[in-house]
Amino acid sequence: MSTVATRTRQVVRRPARRAAWTGRAMLVPAVFAVVVIAVYPLVFSVAASLSDSSLGQQFTDWVGGANYAALFTDGVTLPSLVRSVVFALASAILALVGGSVVALCLDVSVRSGRVLRVLLLLPLMTPPVMAAVVWRLMLAPTGGLFNNVIQTISPGAEPFLFLGSSPAAMISVIAVDAWQWAPFCALLVFAALQTLPSEVYEAAQVDGAGTLQVFRRITFPLLLPSLLTALLLKVVLSFKVFDLVFVMTGGGPGFDTTVSSYDIYRSGFQSFDIGMAAAQTIVFLVLVTIVIVPLNAVRQRAQKGAS
Amino acid sequence: MTVQRSRSSYRVVAASAVTAGIIVVAGCSGTPAEDEGAGTLSVLIAAPQEGAGKILEEEFEKAHDVEVEVEVVPYDQIQSKVTLDVQSGTSAYDVIQYWYPTVGALAEAGALADITDWVAGDEDIDQADFIDAVYQPYTQYDGKTYGLPIDGDTHVLFYNTEIFERNGVEPPATWDEYVDVARTITENESGDGVYGTALLGSKSAFNIGSSFFNRLATMSSDPIDSAMPQLDSDVAVEAAQAMLDVSEYALPSPLEIGFEQALPQFLAGKVGMMEFWTDLGVFAQDPEQSQIVDGWGVVPLPLGPEGSVSGALNAGWAMGISPNAADEDLAKQFVAFASSADTNEMLITTTGSGIDPTRTSTLESEDYAELVPEVAEVNEQVLPNAQSWPTSPAAPEMIQVLGDNLALMLQGNLSAEEAVSDTWDTWQPLAE
Amino acid sequence: MSIRTAVSGDATRAVVLPGSRPRRAPGSSSRAISSLKWVVLVVAILLAITPILYLIATSFKSPDDILSTRILPARFAVENWASAMANWPIFTYLGNSLLVAGVAVVVALVIAVPANYAIARLRVGGGQTLLLIVSAYIAPPVVAIVPLFLLVRTAGLMNSPFGLGLVEGLMLTPVAVWLLDGFFRSIPGEIDEAAQLDGCGPVRTLVSVLLPLITPGLAAVGIIVFILVYNDFLIPLLLTQTGSAQTLPVGIALMQGGREVMFGQMAAASLTGIIPVYLLALFAQRWLIGGLTQGSVK
Repeated sequence: MSTVATRTRQVVRRPARRAAWTGRAMLVPAVFAVVVIAVYPLVFSVAASLSDSSLGQQFTDWVGGANYAALFTDGVTLPSLVRSVVFALASAILALVGGSVVALCLDVSVRSGRVLRVLLLLPLMTPPVMAAVVWRLMLAPTGGLFNNVIQTISPGAEPFLFLGSSPAAMISVIAVDAWQWAPFCALLVFAALQTLPSEVYEAAQVDGAGTLQVFRRITFPLLLPSLLTALLLKVVLSFKVFDLVFVMTGGGPGFDTTVSSYDIYRSGFQSFDIGMAAAQTIVFLVLVTIVIVPLNAVRQRAQKGAS
Repeated sequence: MTVQRSRSSYRVVAASAVTAGIIVVAGCSGTPAEDEGAGTLSVLIAAPQEGAGKILEEEFEKAHDVEVEVEVVPYDQIQSKVTLDVQSGTSAYDVIQYWYPTVGALAEAGALADITDWVAGDEDIDQADFIDAVYQPYTQYDGKTYGLPIDGDTHVLFYNTEIFERNGVEPPATWDEYVDVARTITENESGDGVYGTALLGSKSAFNIGSSFFNRLATMSSDPIDSAMPQLDSDVAVEAAQAMLDVSEYALPSPLEIGFEQALPQFLAGKVGMMEFWTDLGVFAQDPEQSQIVDGWGVVPLPLGPEGSVSGALNAGWAMGISPNAADEDLAKQFVAFASSADTNEMLITTTGSGIDPTRTSTLESEDYAELVPEVAEVNEQVLPNAQSWPTSPAAPEMIQVLGDNLALMLQGNLSAEEAVSDTWDTWQPLAE
Repeated sequence: MSIRTAVSGDATRAVVLPGSRPRRAPGSSSRAISSLKWVVLVVAILLAITPILYLIATSFKSPDDILSTRILPARFAVENWASAMANWPIFTYLGNSLLVAGVAVVVALVIAVPANYAIARLRVGGGQTLLLIVSAYIAPPVVAIVPLFLLVRTAGLMNSPFGLGLVEGLMLTPVAVWLLDGFFRSIPGEIDEAAQLDGCGPVRTLVSVLLPLITPGLAAVGIIVFILVYNDFLIPLLLTQTGSAQTLPVGIALMQGGREVMFGQMAAASLTGIIPVYLLALFAQRWLIGGLTQGSVK
């Protein structure tokens, strides 16, 4: 590694400064994007969180930490944050594992036509609103697909409340989210599998390694950075889940599926308390950062390890 | 090197030009609202009244030489849209359909224009013809008028005659009887997927809120106070308890049941009785949707020991004008047209309009009675006595808190008393 | 074309230049493993399509049939499809959705590719730049809507598919940057060196040398951004006003308005939206996956 690095340094020393400025110029549009859609709203959110703001009239009063104090004691926000973490990790892992398993098996279908493979993408292409409506119909206590099957097997049985009881409701929403996103993970993992060098496999075959050994010793370590990249993105996506909760359970039963993003929506667009919604958003951002930073550190270490 | 630099800077320039071009094109192709000149009217309609919106658009365009642009929005997004519109200075709408409990909030946010003088002065509006129980809560805030009613919603009790006969029960007159009837039917027939009642318990206001206010309105001897409903009374606890009592005999599970789930089940003959909006009478007679044509009946809601025949104003829509309307007179004409007796009568007798009577003349009209005879008869008893949900500026939040606590109650996490008293306590600081 | 092998760590890593990737040796999977893989795929496909099949069945059910105990419709309510088309401007919604998503993909990739190059290759920005950029995507847009609404209005981008596409593209840029990072880093640095030795500046290196190499990555990321934007609900809802600009998810939500929610029609409408995207994916994936797996020695 060091030999290569020294040689690189020698080669690029002359155009280094111009490269640096070109590099900065290349970064400008991205910075612009981030400023517009993140920094500007963030400044607004911080300001709003310290004020008494409604959707109709913002910044009517400065209340300092009152919103924050309220959200720590209202008995709804903190549990919703916990639920967000549980949901994010569970659905991300489920989707990634499912997607990876499928991606690893896709190579046998290479010659059998794309229809098969694109079928796997269908959950991802369904608008979440519609997916939620369909799953809600399928999980309905009376007349839903699953309960109809249960009734056929044991007639007269009590309907099972997939969405009306806990913890079934949370599990159902997690499962539906994983169903929707497993193809996404499969796509990422499959694309990553394509970039793996195949000489490695040939060498391993020559050495007489078994399939499982090949996977454990070679494929998995090489794949790990991509897996972690996909996992991290899916975790972020899962933290933002909204449509599913909105349509399938409305945060219920009671508050049992009220995750943070839904709680923020309630504060902002049902109670119209933008100050509170902003405070909740800030706390949510802190929480997500706490979850993501270690994950990212692991990911970066895996990246360095694989190179 | 020089050649390369100019080539790369050429690329940068080209890229910026393309980006700028995209922004310019996007800007030019945007916002019809900006092109609003004289002769364009922008109307915001709620999705349930989309049918009415289309009819109003057509009729108004015919009668006046203007272009009407109707924007349809999901019913639970109207307030957000209107408020965002006002607060951002956009003012894209001239005429706004609003859910009546939001009248206070919208008035405070400056989203609705004060039309008191116009309504008082214009005889054609025939303000006295509006059903008072509907007119007051829908349009009044702080002594001023902010809109005119276009859809008068209330719940009545529908029942399936065949299921009732099979189980030997009569339509209940009291809430206690209601629970008994529900229990009888469910115990007999739940194995076949038939339940005594469908309790609307899902957390959206129109559902769980309706179930509660139905009971509060008909149990209480005093009318509901639209600034601060009297949740500190025993009656309020009884109302909540009545919901809880019947929930175990209701279509599974109340927390998951909203009107979109309950309606198909009732129309399929799986539910013995149901508190629902009056237009169920129309749906039930539509062979495309209903398997119980001519197999149902309707009565006013059951009563509590001290209550009298009435109901609650569940849902309910009015129309107002934006203070920043481009052409105020045109907007007023539209609102007057939409809320007029002729229009109301035409719409209530048109299936799919989503409109119910708002005026005495239309409630008692012959055409209405001919279309839905049993419903018209019951509605005439109920609507003039119907009671209002809160309409103060804090009303949306109050209603949400109420719904949250009632849901926790149905779930078993709170007792009826706790649900009501917690709500009452949370409401206090919200009132100014 | 040459192959160089470097040994690092505990994994043998072969550097393969484009066009020379050999096929996997035949017989590398035993038949048992093949069959197992097929079983997995079949199960996965069944899991994936069962709800879609249910959606199709629902689209043919009449309103009284929706929550019945029958799985298949009692009668084929073809009128659902006719009504769905007649009552709502489905194809307009669909067109808007495709346009918005397409614009967003272009915007996101145009911004992300140079940014990724700068981060991965030119060592611009600290080690945390990537994370900072992704963190822009984390917050639920609820509170951001308020200031964004004002900004979009001021820029004159309200109620316009192009404007919406631009906003969505900006919002999805962090995702594109995040995903492209892996693809950029998977290309060995020696390639950059080779290009530089040939006299390419950074821009030329990016455009002429690296871009062709990461095309599979661009395609994959493009598809993902497309889908994320296509399925977005809250932002299009609040930044569009009329059917001329509204997207399919918003259109579907509007069908939930009335008392008599027509699930059958909603299902028909959604399928109308899904089918074209499905066909699109059918073609796009051939280009994406098929091209990769062909990989014969040129």
